[in-house]
Amino acid sequence: MNKTLLSIVVATSLTLTGQAHAGAHVEVYADFPITVKNYTGSKTHSEAYTGQIARHTLHNSVKKLVSKGASLEQTKAYFNGKETGRVIVDPVSKDEFAVLQTHVDKISTGKNLSGKAYKGLISGMPGGLTGAELLDLMLEKAAATEKGFDPLTGYDYTQLISKFTMGAVFYNQAVDNYLDEKLAADVNPNSKAYKEGKAYTGKEHIWDEAFGYFGAPAHTMKLTAAQVYGIAKQKADSFAKADYNNDGKVSLVTEMAFAHAYYAASFDKGGKTNYLHTIVQAFLDGRNLISSANGEALTDAQRSKLMSYAQVIKTQWQRLIAEAVFKYAGSVYGDIEKLEAAIEANGNAVKLYRNYAKHWGELKGFALALESGGVNLGETGVKLNRLIGYSPVLLGNTQVAALVDGEFVQSSSVSLSEYRVQMIKLQKLMIDDFEVEARNKNVTANLAQLVDSLGEAMAAEND
Amino acid sequence: MDWLFEFIQSWFSELMGLVSQGSKRIFFGYMLSATLIAVVWLMWQRQLNCLAAFRWLFQGKIWWSSSSQSDYTIMLLNQPIMLLLSPILLSKLALATTLFYALNDWVSRPLWFSDIPVFWVSVIFTSCLFVVDDASRYYLHRLMHRWPVLWAFHRVHHTAESLTPFTVLRTHPMEGLLFGLRSVLVQGFLISVFVFVFADRVTLLSLLGANVFNAVLNLLGSNLRHSPVPISYGKVIEGWLISPAQHQIHHSQARQHWDKNFGAFIALWDRLGNTLEYGSNSQELTYGLLGQKPKEHQLVTLYWQPFTSSWRYFWRSKGKLISTNNKTHVTSESQ
Ligand SMILES: [Zn+2]
Repeated sequence: MNKTLLSIVVATSLTLTGQAHAGAHVEVYADFPITVKNYTGSKTHSEAYTGQIARHTLHNSVKKLVSKGASLEQTKAYFNGKETGRVIVDPVSKDEFAVLQTHVDKISTGKNLSGKAYKGLISGMPGGLTGAELLDLMLEKAAATEKGFDPLTGYDYTQLISKFTMGAVFYNQAVDNYLDEKLAADVNPNSKAYKEGKAYTGKEHIWDEAFGYFGAPAHTMKLTAAQVYGIAKQKADSFAKADYNNDGKVSLVTEMAFAHAYYAASFDKGGKTNYLHTIVQAFLDGRNLISSANGEALTDAQRSKLMSYAQVIKTQWQRLIAEAVFKYAGSVYGDIEKLEAAIEANGNAVKLYRNYAKHWGELKGFALALESGGVNLGETGVKLNRLIGYSPVLLGNTQVAALVDGEFVQSSSVSLSEYRVQMIKLQKLMIDDFEVEARNKNVTANLAQLVDSLGEAMAAEND
Repeated sequence: MDWLFEFIQSWFSELMGLVSQGSKRIFFGYMLSATLIAVVWLMWQRQLNCLAAFRWLFQGKIWWSSSSQSDYTIMLLNQPIMLLLSPILLSKLALATTLFYALNDWVSRPLWFSDIPVFWVSVIFTSCLFVVDDASRYYLHRLMHRWPVLWAFHRVHHTAESLTPFTVLRTHPMEGLLFGLRSVLVQGFLISVFVFVFADRVTLLSLLGANVFNAVLNLLGSNLRHSPVPISYGKVIEGWLISPAQHQIHHSQARQHWDKNFGAFIALWDRLGNTLEYGSNSQELTYGLLGQKPKEHQLVTLYWQPFTSSWRYFWRSKGKLISTNNKTHVTSESQ
């Protein structure tokens, strides 16, 4: 409680002292001062990214609905709709992990996902569709399956839709829009309120929106990666860490972890990487810099500094998606090994095939996300798409090859075993071209273990 | 000065590692078991009492000879030199990974191996490693004797006139580098092949942090190869495993013993290569090179001269391999 009291006192005194706080460096993404000139409203701080958090709850809810076999009408209400009264399907309160908001409107009204989905071409799937069109198609197809899984194509729509939405909406909006063109001097200038009467300037708000899409708790710098991971998983023992203001409930706006922030935490907790804190620190540094401009237009020096923070965020964010591609390529590799063994032994492959499809859906969703960053991946993108293909290689050595009249059409493909080898190449591509470091599910991990177990090569022993 | 402190610290810890790690030959456990075996053997074969056996084993004229003193100096100096040289070695992991990718490119994985239980996969891997590693040691060792360019470095090991377990470390750093490269090639190759075929079911069967075969043989007294105790295993076993007496023959000055018993653990390679010589419990040998001078134990001779004589040989022979018969046991430079 002391902390709350203190933050209220600090916040109030900062507001009262007006400009004195402008240079203060904040460690929590909260209580940034209002720098808009002649602001007359009642707000006491300037950060605002509820629209983004509302979209995180829409994404989580769509994922849950698809996996439960909801109708197209139901899923579209969350994906395309903007109606009031929508209940948050996920995350919801659990035993010992109470969540503050139960309705999307409690966070922000009139939000959807389709409006923000990437409008560029996605070459990783057939049909020449844009990101938005592809998501639309997937939602339709998903509604026609049982609980989001189509065994004929091997498409796990729950995973495909979820992972691709994270890329086509959150990642794309943040790195291709807010941290890119909107950082230009003449767009959303810092010398004006974002909109008439708002408590934040143009630059403050676009920075906040990018932060919101990342999905990290405002107090991330006070948490470990493992704790943020536990928070996203709504683990009972993570509740105290999540509830930063000690009000007994976790606010989805400021205290919850979503989407890529969750994945960043999941890689970082392995100890080899630091995506989560590097990205959040860059967001904090950038936001503090904007605040320090005190409502004036950013100077060229300030803007170039801000761009350098944006670049850190973009690079790290892209790399963490590549980590996910790496990880699921390893999972798919392992699934195929098990499938091959089961087929060889005439065993039951149904469950194994389902796991294979699930991991492939995650792999493909993240791979498509990499394509949604607004940068041309060039040869890397071509290799990425060729190695993964349009669908998993099915047991009869076929693979989706085209989209004809709205239907996915298969043709013969490489063998399952060759496809497994392509996963090795895919992992290598992620190492070579994206410099991934966490390398979960590394197919060659055993090589490193054996090398370690054999010890150093250099020995001055002589017989 | 921080780097100096760190350097000395890692030097010291490397030295400590020599006796504290089971992957090293002079690990104290192996030394202890070797001592025990030697004492028991002396009591049985030479009819000595326990105290006399100890006295004979640790006689000062062996352990504190000028030859042994240079062994100790080399042991101290080689650690930092190896520390500096090791980064230039090809990385084992890099080689294994590259080969693994290449194997996946070239051949499709045989599936019928997937039935072999994990334990047996490890047994096969560990034995292959032991056998191939040992064979490659034999081959490189033989090459070092037969090619003067390499002999110039290996002869440093052979100028030892008294043998103690520390003589195993009397090695020119260039030879250490070559043996390191050999181990990278052998292990990198085997690891990649096994992981390619058996995926994540491959593990090394280890004891005391070393390959279980190496550890067991070390416990059975491989340190006695460089010692005054001529333990022979008898002809039957010596056709398969190199005994201490056999390796001592490898160090003998006598002309008929030159270029015999190159093997480390397995004697089979010597049998196949016609270089096997059986040992005897009663053999009495003089170690070192015929006609060698006291200056062989000086640091300059030990570390620098191999480079100059190797270079001279290289120019004279234009890099050609010269057979044993043409080679003089002591190089002209050192006479
Ligand atoms: Zn030799």
